Amino acid sequence: MTRDPRAFLALDLGAATSSVALVGRVAGHWRLLGSLSCPSDISVEALVGALVARAAAADPELAAELGVDPTAAADIPRLVARSAPPAAIGVVAASERSLAPLVAAAERSGWRVHAGSAERLDPLAMSRLLLDPTISTVLAGAGDPPGADERSALPELAALVAGVGQRRPEIGIVLAGALAEHQARFESHTADGSGDLLLGPAPTAGTPPGSSLGELLGRLRAPGDDARRSIAVAIGSLAEGLDRRIEVLDVGIDGGLRVVAAPGGPDEPARVVSAAVARAALAPEDVEDAVDGALGWATVSTDRHRTRDRLRELRLSPWSGVSGDGAAFRMAAARAALGRLVAATPDLDAMSAPDLVVVAGGAWQVAPGPAIALAVADIVRRPGVTQVAFDHARLLAPLGTIEAAAERRGMLADLADDLLAPLGTVVMPQGLRGGRSGGRLVVHGQTGTSELDLAAGGLELVDLPPGESAMAEFQFRDAVRLGARGRHFAVDVAGGLGGLIVDLRDVPLRLPERADRRRELLAAWQGALWPGMDE
Amino acid sequence: MIDPTGDGSVAPGLELVAVRRLIEPGVDAWLPLAPGDRALVAAGESVVPGAPVAEHLRDGRLLDGVDGTEGRPGGRWTGNVQVGARRRHAATATGELLYEAGGRWRVVAGEHFETIESPIAGIVHEVQPGVGIRVRAAGAAIRGRVALGGISRGRLEVATGPNGELLPRALDVGAAGSILVVGARIDAESLTRARAMGVRGIVVATLPSKDRRDFGASESRQRAGLHPVAPFGVLVLHGSVRRPIAAPLMALFESLVGTEVAILGRPAALVFDPNGVPLPLDPPDTVHARSGPLAGRVGRWAGLAGLRRFPGGSHLEAGFVRFGDDQPVAVPLADLERYG
Repeated sequence: MTRDPRAFLALDLGAATSSVALVGRVAGHWRLLGSLSCPSDISVEALVGALVARAAAADPELAAELGVDPTAAADIPRLVARSAPPAAIGVVAASERSLAPLVAAAERSGWRVHAGSAERLDPLAMSRLLLDPTISTVLAGAGDPPGADERSALPELAALVAGVGQRRPEIGIVLAGALAEHQARFESHTADGSGDLLLGPAPTAGTPPGSSLGELLGRLRAPGDDARRSIAVAIGSLAEGLDRRIEVLDVGIDGGLRVVAAPGGPDEPARVVSAAVARAALAPEDVEDAVDGALGWATVSTDRHRTRDRLRELRLSPWSGVSGDGAAFRMAAARAALGRLVAATPDLDAMSAPDLVVVAGGAWQVAPGPAIALAVADIVRRPGVTQVAFDHARLLAPLGTIEAAAERRGMLADLADDLLAPLGTVVMPQGLRGGRSGGRLVVHGQTGTSELDLAAGGLELVDLPPGESAMAEFQFRDAVRLGARGRHFAVDVAGGLGGLIVDLRDVPLRLPERADRRRELLAAWQGALWPGMDE
Repeated sequence: MIDPTGDGSVAPGLELVAVRRLIEPGVDAWLPLAPGDRALVAAGESVVPGAPVAEHLRDGRLLDGVDGTEGRPGGRWTGNVQVGARRRHAATATGELLYEAGGRWRVVAGEHFETIESPIAGIVHEVQPGVGIRVRAAGAAIRGRVALGGISRGRLEVATGPNGELLPRALDVGAAGSILVVGARIDAESLTRARAMGVRGIVVATLPSKDRRDFGASESRQRAGLHPVAPFGVLVLHGSVRRPIAAPLMALFESLVGTEVAILGRPAALVFDPNGVPLPLDPPDTVHARSGPLAGRVGRWAGLAGLRRFPGGSHLEAGFVRFGDDQPVAVPLADLERYG
């Protein structure tokens, strides 16, 4: 960006969705003026042109003041974040035991993993695995010090990987842990190759174990302007600016991202833990991974073959058939992907509950806000009170590319209200007994007080528009867990597109085994928050 | 025809409709090799359709501890191996050096090779032993979404209309040696029968996952047999959910009838010689519905509709499209494309 611009464009160029937002400085503050999202095969310049023209038509005076000229849209400064293309890594080790932490580190850093150990694969099969042209990097590792089960096999493993490096000079090679001692075998790779040879930490080094190697692999997979890495940076700044614990749940066509950021102490940066998971893609490359999940969350009658076809179609053409029941199917696939993301990151579950959950990514782009909040509540079964918001204009990633931390923090603090569309507050008590009234809720809002009975096993919705806040007073019949354990709770809740969602269902969620009854129940819950879903 | 703007110009906003390239010049075809396969060409060489470019080792196995050999991984090796049930007889085998460990080489060797022919004319850009050969195609390519089976070559024939479906009983040996364009979809039974009848390839709009899986399993069994079988490729143009072949593609296939074409696996594409082939050109305001309830229909752009609510309760950016003489209807931009 040029110095002191009055307006700029923030572009998030994903694998399936291109999103353009126009941000301008109004009355001394940065404000979101408009945004537009479309399939990624539509020209980005056409999107920019359309957005700028709409903004100028809506308020010509403001546009002139900010220097937003539709005839010179290309001159408006830009912040650009791009989703790194999906990449595959070959992971090999001497034993199955030593392979497991290497695979875990690679999977949490966003790679598609093809793995094998010398224990299971003969040298020919392992060579074939690593010579697959879709693999761009090889990770070979061993414990440090190596275990008794792997020590004798390491020279042979190093020779095999070095042989692969000689055939494919462009490939990147990471030697982790004790295998780094064999780097002399790779001299020819570093001499004549365009690929890198990197010595990585032991597979279990760092806190949590594997994080050091995961960090290195994450940097290798994606360059600095990668959207997922930028989101993690942005959310750290936002946590500092708002002084709140924030969790991001991002699901896209090529993978998912989960970030937890907590403000640091005075003069300390925020603590950020993140994991990018390729298997948590909306429609993963191997669709078999996703069929059961999408079937389990489907609200319309379908079978395995049809579900597989639709997932494959989603993979090939992510925006195809998004109207009609396509939107509901997409939400079923998104729930399943979110489930895989949460299952792959149990250590993030163990951290303190966030104050705010931010939903991001193209998977949610066509669903109404309240339905997105319900999808999060369906999957993240965490007793407590959580505010849910949506990065609707996909601003987080572009803003995360701002290098200067202070500038980034200031910009995010200014834009926080605009970039996060409030979806509502989810209150989720645990321990309600089914089959009878669970107690009473009194909501003291700015416009009055409302009361309702709490029926265990269902959802209670309280209309609370965005921008409003209220005091919710719960009187449960039995002791429940809601942060702490007790019967009486009074919590501050913020409004949103879905209002206040009191989730009185089981934690964890139990759904009927019979497919037709499960579909009926899911459709009823979703229909309450998604007007016109059945049209 | 109806002119939506009344003055011969195109209504604004058409640039927000995705453009799909009808043909691409000079694609790079990737011919995969496995360890033990022998490349017969080198970078910089020209190849013609049918020219042998590699030999595929069908019975590759690992030989441990071959010593006294110089070379580097991927280099060729010839030597004696012990064969027979009790390994008492010596036989000459050829193979490829895999890697060297402790002063001894691991070698992939075998006796049975199968010739891999170039499906296209072009120039070899890269040869990576055990990995693949990259050939820059001299012709033009029509991109598909997915390719299954092998890389194949044959005479293009159109078997059905764009919305048709080829049934097994409609196939006979008269189609041997051809690549058939078969319309909206085909099932696994028809695919395997086509292969058995000597058909070299199939071009189809969509292939359901079940048929894709069944055909994949059948193809694996065929390739595992001892006798080499003719390559058979399937090019899927659009996806998994049934819809017709897009009109410009169908027009192009019809003008290619009788000419030699090739199906590539990586990229998934049909390669042909564009010389003398008329390219179907749409009027500038023509748009095609690529998905959704109107998939396969051709209309004329009538302007942007903005954010619209569609069945299912989704709000999507849309454009007005006039189909035939009907009133313009709002269609999600995501469901539209143009060919250029």
